[in-house]
Amino acid sequence: MSDYSFVGKERVRPDAGDKVAGRTPYIHDLVRPGMLHGKIKFSEHAHARIKHIDTSRAKRLPGVRAVITAYDTPEVRVGFLADNFALKRDKVRQFRDEVAAVAAIDPDIAREAVELIDVEYEPLPGVFSPHDALRPGAPLVHEVDARGRPRTSNLVDLKYGHHTGDLEAMKRASRHVVEGYYTTPRIQQSCMGTAGCIAEFDGHGNLTIYAKTQIPFLAQRDFTKALEAMGLEGCGARVVVPALGGGFGTGLDTHCYEHIAILLAHKTGLPVKILYDREEEFAYLSPRQSAETRVVQGCDANGLLTFRIVEVLQDNGAYTSWGATYPSVMMLPVTSLYRVPAVSFDAKIVYTNNTYCQAMRGYGNPEVTFPIESNLDELAREAGIDPLELRRKNANQPGDESPMKFRIATCGLDDCLKAVGQGLHWTEKQGQGRKDARGRALGVGVASLVHVGGSGRIYRSDGSGIAIRLDDFGHAHVAYGGVEMGQGLVSSLTVAVAESLGIMPEQVHLNQTDTAACPWDVGTHASRGAFMACNAAIRATKLLRDKLFALCPGVFEEIAGKASAKGKSKDEAAKIVGAPGKPEDYELKHALVTKRGLPDEAWAKVDLAKVLRAVHFRQAGTMLSAEYFYEPPSELPDWEKGIGNMSAAYTWGAQGVEVAVDEATGEVEVLRMINALDVGHVLSPQALKGQVYGGIAQGLGYALYEEIKSDQGRVLNAGFTDYKIPTASEMRFPIDLVFVETEDPNGPFGSKGVGEPGLVPTAPAIGNAIFDAVGVRLKELPMTPERVSVAIDAKGRIDR
Amino acid sequence: MTDAAYHRPTTLDAALALKRDEPSARFIAGGTDLLVQLRKRKVAPAPLISLRNIPELCGVSVEDEAIRIGATTSLAELLRHEVIRRELRALGHALWTLASQQIRNVGTLGGNLCNASPAADTAPPLLAFDAAVELAGPKSRRTLPLASFLAGPGKTQLAAGELLSCVVVPRPPRGTQSAFLRQGRVAMDLSLASVAAFICIEDDRKAPVVRLAAGAVGPVPMRLRNAEATLVGRPLDAAALVAAAEAAAAEVSPINDLRSSANYRRRLVRVLCERALRQALGDKEIHHEG
Amino acid sequence: MRAELRFTLNGAAVEAFVQPQARLLDVLRDTLGATGTKEGCSEGECGACTVLIDGRAVASCLFPALEAEGKRVVTVEGLRQDNGDPSAVQRAFIDKGGVQCGFCTPGMVMATTALLAENPAPTDDEIRAGLVGNLCRCTGYVQIIDAVKQAAGELATKERS
Repeated sequence: MSDYSFVGKERVRPDAGDKVAGRTPYIHDLVRPGMLHGKIKFSEHAHARIKHIDTSRAKRLPGVRAVITAYDTPEVRVGFLADNFALKRDKVRQFRDEVAAVAAIDPDIAREAVELIDVEYEPLPGVFSPHDALRPGAPLVHEVDARGRPRTSNLVDLKYGHHTGDLEAMKRASRHVVEGYYTTPRIQQSCMGTAGCIAEFDGHGNLTIYAKTQIPFLAQRDFTKALEAMGLEGCGARVVVPALGGGFGTGLDTHCYEHIAILLAHKTGLPVKILYDREEEFAYLSPRQSAETRVVQGCDANGLLTFRIVEVLQDNGAYTSWGATYPSVMMLPVTSLYRVPAVSFDAKIVYTNNTYCQAMRGYGNPEVTFPIESNLDELAREAGIDPLELRRKNANQPGDESPMKFRIATCGLDDCLKAVGQGLHWTEKQGQGRKDARGRALGVGVASLVHVGGSGRIYRSDGSGIAIRLDDFGHAHVAYGGVEMGQGLVSSLTVAVAESLGIMPEQVHLNQTDTAACPWDVGTHASRGAFMACNAAIRATKLLRDKLFALCPGVFEEIAGKASAKGKSKDEAAKIVGAPGKPEDYELKHALVTKRGLPDEAWAKVDLAKVLRAVHFRQAGTMLSAEYFYEPPSELPDWEKGIGNMSAAYTWGAQGVEVAVDEATGEVEVLRMINALDVGHVLSPQALKGQVYGGIAQGLGYALYEEIKSDQGRVLNAGFTDYKIPTASEMRFPIDLVFVETEDPNGPFGSKGVGEPGLVPTAPAIGNAIFDAVGVRLKELPMTPERVSVAIDAKGRIDR
Repeated sequence: MTDAAYHRPTTLDAALALKRDEPSARFIAGGTDLLVQLRKRKVAPAPLISLRNIPELCGVSVEDEAIRIGATTSLAELLRHEVIRRELRALGHALWTLASQQIRNVGTLGGNLCNASPAADTAPPLLAFDAAVELAGPKSRRTLPLASFLAGPGKTQLAAGELLSCVVVPRPPRGTQSAFLRQGRVAMDLSLASVAAFICIEDDRKAPVVRLAAGAVGPVPMRLRNAEATLVGRPLDAAALVAAAEAAAAEVSPINDLRSSANYRRRLVRVLCERALRQALGDKEIHHEG
Repeated sequence: MRAELRFTLNGAAVEAFVQPQARLLDVLRDTLGATGTKEGCSEGECGACTVLIDGRAVASCLFPALEAEGKRVVTVEGLRQDNGDPSAVQRAFIDKGGVQCGFCTPGMVMATTALLAENPAPTDDEIRAGLVGNLCRCTGYVQIIDAVKQAAGELATKERS
């Protein structure tokens, strides 16, 4: 498939020029006329009754335009279970609860005013782990549900499960069984651009909000509901998405700060901006959810997997956002990573007085891939089978239907494992007890992944609309509702439009995401950006081409005739170009319209712009545009049963790493990595590599460095001083990228989604390599030097 | 942000006079720590007296007996200084791994010391080099050993109205080797623990002089005197290095905090101490009579 | 109370009246409208606010504006060549895909510019050490390091010719 003009070719990002020049406006840079600055007063307790809020001192501060609390504003509910409120009334349930907010003429005054708000609390006992929260008699985080019905426990009312195959029979059929408990931490998405928004109203009560969101249309729905709650029924909400500065899941839900900005803007009649600083981003934005996982897997004497049990306990925090729905994605690897005849999956999600959690890249997948792949390594050792070999024996194959009823059309997992083995020199290196020149123990490890590669249906519509309009100059203006967060959607969408329409990438102009201009899109998540946008683009451009070719007969001949007429008579020229053809006689490539049967000469290649102008500027003229709404061929799973083909394609991959472990300090250094990924087809090499490298860096952080630390619900490391993400120095190991092209039939140009996979198998691959190096199994992330050294010491004691 | 003043005196006397007139004012050099603390309201708003524009406080002068480092000399300038890199190798190592170019270009040696962070990375090497600090007050100047200048987390022996003007490092005799090792969580991090080693073997007839210091494992960066004592009068062989490392681990008083446990810090001191000694010795075992 | 401040910003003389303890970052962004310089952490950990002062990379979030008095300040807006083309460093970031969400990019580009001015032929380790104060969450730094190498090579070629 090398006859593409642009697909798969090296191209620079269309937005890079502006970004390197500092010309790209982020929410931080936007200013609206008359704009005020909002600031939020957060709770000082993890769990307390609000007895009294005194805003009088804040209101008196010069420059303050509004101070609001739940007691003087309409109740605006937040979250898909509606268990959260923009401003809290009666009770706070976490340290970050919003109890009041200020709008002032500058950020310093707003901050000062917030400090002048006095809140009197009656502290309540809190629960800070799911275990504590489930104890009989534990304090209830929510006494009633969203409808006011009394609650009796801290269990969140969401049911996820999966039970297929004859578990008991398969247990009996197992020669080897290994069980383990694993813990993964809350981590912060750490977008370089912090969160923020600007809300403003027009004179009719219509809202425009500039929001750092990945879900402009679901946000529009949330904001419209908020308008209704504010008594503005029938008013519109428009969401405009500035350059994002990173998303990684933070933008998958609407946030209290956005609703507060709306309340402040409505109250003051002026635009209000709320911008989080880094400390607020860490302390008051929802991180990745933590998980505790029990995993049991068995295999027969030949190493074929017999069963898998995974039980997950999640600390939801005080309110429900998408973190609570991680089990919907956990099911993916639990049921479908390797062939497993019997699978049992259960998840409990528990309210606590910790910070509530949200989406982050990978969305539940890394949380269970770490236990599954670590445990699988132990199983291989128990069975005396090479861990790579065991994985290859059990690798999924094209044509398989997994226990969750995934229809696996293409699957390059075995090719990926093979590539990792070769690249890493697995057989020479694994289990050799090698040391490097500094005396550090060396080891290799591998882990695999499966993720949705054809979007992931978690909502009634998983669609994406696109609208493409051609101007008089042959340029295509594309309105698409998906969000460029840094991932490179602009690269793949530009290439897809140019390729499938037949124009040059430079003629493709992507409009800023704006609900007023773009057709509906469910959101940019689940590695769906390029898959959906390009599928939609391919179909919309087909419509455009059909319209164009239907207009070509006569018009084309007239233009080409003029061009060919040099030195010829009119009749001669007309003869050469021929009579008006049929629509199917015309072709558009590289912005030139050609006609079947004409010679390969300059006059027979008509500039698209000329054709467009000819059909526009004439009697009953027309302009060309097309819309398409693409719904991927997938099913909304039954979450309680854990059954349903949730994606139109599945992405597979494997990572292999070599590590050096300093046994004295416990420090782990990754020496090299082979990352093999079944991408379907390479769409945009630079963007693809960036996504994978970036995912690996986040995977490395998850594996070795990152953890939000908290004490009784209060975040202790709210900043980069004590929350460490990898720097260029930690990413100093060479990474070999291997892209396996399996040409998925549902994929645009055969491609699959690749946004998240990079980080999914990194932690278990490193954990497995640590085991190979020093014989200790790390079951808690991050695998810090301290934890590694403690494990080495413990092993030393046992060995002695 | 407050409307508090920001003074930019150009002489030391003017700076001291400003402080005398406005006792609540604070001296600021690079400001890389103070500005963050002011912004986070960990330090009350105060007038600031900048020391950046005082030539007599800035620069390195190499004298026969000592290297004199003006307090406001930037960490980057020190790192670029040939004599410092050559003769004060452990300090060079510390500077190389200290923060980032953006911070080193602004942060000063005096600031790093006066901030009195237990984890200040320039302190252990300077302690190992037996550095002294010169303090300038409204009435008098005085000199203190660095080891007694550092008084506790965030605390120094600076009296009211006094400032650190100069760091004086005795020039290491010929035959000196030094090393600095640290561990952070990632490359850009505060040290969880650090150790500097100074070994001087002037000639084979004299006993070697060994000085050790550690950072981030006590209220202040500290000399490891017990560890040093274990090395007196014995060959610097592998067993000696292990014994010194064990003594070092025993004499530090690390705390548990969110960066590390005390136990792990103690472990690091043991490992880093042995390795720093080994590195300073050029990985050779040194046998010495007497 | 405001203090007068004069310095050179991207080659042009500027003057501003600023709060005495204002940060250079705020003066650049809010007073002078040079929003290319980003605020990522406000404490010198992330490098998004990196600017050049007299040729050296500095975290402008930790730099008192008044200390810029009389100095040459260069921000990302000032890097382009006289003909309007991006600088070699900017070009390399574009070419090599060292740009994703773009929020760290201005700081990354400034830190690279300073790094290469001081050390025109850095080793891999020197590049990484030079960029250790610039956090990026998108790229995994790989294509950024590639960009720095391309820029170093290009500047070396220019130097020779």
